[in-house]
Amino acid sequence: MKNYVKLFNFEMGRFLKGYLALVGITVAVQVLGVVIASRSYTNKINKYVYHEGMAIDEFLSQFGDMSMYAIIHSLWIQGPILFCISVLLIYTLLIWYRDWFGKNTFIYRLLMLPTERINIFFAKLTTIMVMVLSLVALQIMLLPVLNKVMSSLVPEAYFMNLSFKEMISGFDVLTILFPFSFSDFMIHYGLGLLAVTLLFTAILFERSFRLKGIVYGILYIALSLLIIFSPVIMIAITEKSYLYPLELFYLELILCVLVFIMSILTSRFLLNKKITV
Amino acid sequence: MGLKFNNRDPVYMQVIQYFKIQIAKGTIEPGEEVPSRRELANQLKINPNTAQRAYKEMEEEGLIFTEGNLPSRVTKDDRVLRAVREELIMEATETFIQTMHSINVSLDEVVQRVTDNYQSHLEEGEKDDRS
Amino acid sequence: MIEVKNIKKNYGRREVLKGVSFTANKGEITCLIGVNGVGKTTIMNAIMGLTPIKSGEILIEGKPLDKTSYEKITFIPDAITMLPQMKISDAMAFMNDYYQCWNQKRANDMLKFFRLEKESRISELSKGNRAKVNLLLGLALDVDYVLMDEPFSGIDIFSREQIAEVFTSHLIENRGVIITTHEIHDIEHLIDKAVLLDEGVILKEFNAEDVRENEGKSIVDVMREVFHV
Repeated sequence: MKNYVKLFNFEMGRFLKGYLALVGITVAVQVLGVVIASRSYTNKINKYVYHEGMAIDEFLSQFGDMSMYAIIHSLWIQGPILFCISVLLIYTLLIWYRDWFGKNTFIYRLLMLPTERINIFFAKLTTIMVMVLSLVALQIMLLPVLNKVMSSLVPEAYFMNLSFKEMISGFDVLTILFPFSFSDFMIHYGLGLLAVTLLFTAILFERSFRLKGIVYGILYIALSLLIIFSPVIMIAITEKSYLYPLELFYLELILCVLVFIMSILTSRFLLNKKITV
Repeated sequence: MGLKFNNRDPVYMQVIQYFKIQIAKGTIEPGEEVPSRRELANQLKINPNTAQRAYKEMEEEGLIFTEGNLPSRVTKDDRVLRAVREELIMEATETFIQTMHSINVSLDEVVQRVTDNYQSHLEEGEKDDRS
Repeated sequence: MIEVKNIKKNYGRREVLKGVSFTANKGEITCLIGVNGVGKTTIMNAIMGLTPIKSGEILIEGKPLDKTSYEKITFIPDAITMLPQMKISDAMAFMNDYYQCWNQKRANDMLKFFRLEKESRISELSKGNRAKVNLLLGLALDVDYVLMDEPFSGIDIFSREQIAEVFTSHLIENRGVIITTHEIHDIEHLIDKAVLLDEGVILKEFNAEDVRENEGKSIVDVMREVFHV
C-alpha cells in the first residue's frame, strides 16, 4: 500500500510544526516547573534550617521531603499534558475540516488521487495515533529526566528518589495515560483508537450530508456505543450474568473489533459514494 | 498570423477564405508546403478540428494536395489558381456593385469612382517605393 | 467518450439537476454554457466523483468512475487545490509522486510558457497566476480528458489570452475537453460542441460549426434564442 505510506508521510508532515511546538512546550513548562518547585523548597530549607537553625529531622517531619510526587499533580506537569490532549482532540477534527475550509480546498486533490479513498482515512487515523503515542513516549522518557533535574537541585538529604510507578500513583489523568501493565496500555489506547475512528466516521457523515449528517453521525456513535455496551446492559437488565469475567472481556474485545471494522466499512462507503466537496 | 473571426460564418470556411486570399496575393506560392494541422491551429489560434476540416475542404476543392506521407502542398495547377483569383474578384466585385446599386449610384459614377480610387492607390504605392 | 445519462441531484429539497444528458468526445472541446448557479459545476463535480448523484449514470469510455479513472481524466476546478504554503515545485513533486501519467517535461515547458517561477509560493501568487498553476497541474498529466470549471473567471485579460492559447496548442490536442463558462467571448471560435444549460436542464446541445454552416448563427445567437434574452 504505497499510496497509504505516501499519504501518511504527508499528513505527518503537515502537523510537524504543531507537534514540535507541543513537544517544546511540554519540555519547557515541565522543566521550568521542576526548577521552580525545587527552588522554592530549597528556599524553605535555607529559611528554616540555615537561618533559624531548625534540625533536619524536624524540617523533614514538618515539611516532608521533596520528590517528583510533590509536583506531579500540579499544573506544571499536568498543564502541558492537558494542553497536548486538548490540541490533539481539536486536531482530530481539524485534520479533516482543514481540507475543506480555509484558503485551500485540498480535499479536491485528495479525492482525485488514483488510490483507494480509504487510504486517506487510514493516513489521518494513524497520524493521530502516532502523535498521541509519541507524546506519551515523550512524557515517559521525560519523567526520569525531570527527576534527575530535581535531584541535582535539591540536597540529597531532603530528596526522595521515586520510581516511575511511584511517581504516577494516585488516581488522575496520569494513570489513564500511563497504565502499568502492557495489557492495560493496549486496552486504554485501543479504546482511544476506537474513539477516534468513531469520531472520524461521524465527521464523514457530516461532510456527506451536512446538517442531516450531524444527526446521522451522532446516531452512528450512539449505535456503536450500544453495541459495545450491550453485554453490560444485558447484565444490568436481567440482573444475571451468564458469563465469567474473562469471557465477558473477550466478548467485549470482539464487539470492539466488530465496531471498529464497521466504522472502517462505513467510512469507506461514505468516502466512495456519498462524500461531497 | 492573427485572424479575427466572425462568429457567424463557419470558422473553417473563414480559414479557407484566408488561404485563398494569401494565394491570390502571392504570399503563399503554388507548390508551397502548408503547415500541419496542428501548426495551423496553433498559428491561427483555432481548434485543431477546424484546421482539419479546412484542409479536408481545400483538398476536395483541389486547393491543396497530398502525396503519400509528405506534408500537403498548395496546388500548382494553373486552372485552380486562376479560378481562385476569379472567385475572389467576383465576390469583391459583387459585394461592391450590390452596395453601389442599393444606394443608386449610376454606372458612370461607379466607373469614375473606381478609376479615381485605383489611381490614388497607385500613386501612394509609387510614393512608398520612392521613400 | 464521456457519457452523462439522465443525472438528477438535489441539494436538500432543491432539485439542482433535473435529468441532464450529454456526451463529450475525445478530440473535441465541449462547452457547458449557462449563468451562475445553473448546475454546471455540479455536473463537473459529479463526473469526477466529487459529489454524489441521486440517479442516472456517468460513464467514462463505457465504464463508471473508479480510482484508476483519475489517470485518464483530470479536473481543474475554480479554486486552489494545493496547500497555499506549498511552492510550485512542491505541488509538482506531489503530482509526480502519485500519478503515473505525470509528464514532468510538459510541466516544465508549461512553467516557461506561463512564465512562472518554480520556487514561488502558491499563496503569494496573483489570481491569474494561481489559475495558471491549476492549469499546469492538470494539463501536465497525460490524461485523455480534461475538465475545466470556469477557467477564465476573475482573471485579467492578459492571463486570459495566455489561457486561451492553451486551447489551440499541443497541450489540448487529441484530448477531450469539457469546460464550463458563463462567458464564451474568448473561445467562441474554438468550441466544437456547445451545451446550453438553464436551471438544471439542458436546453440545447449542438455542434458550433454545423450551426454556423446550416443556420448562419453564432453560438451567442443560439443562446439568445434559447435563453429568451
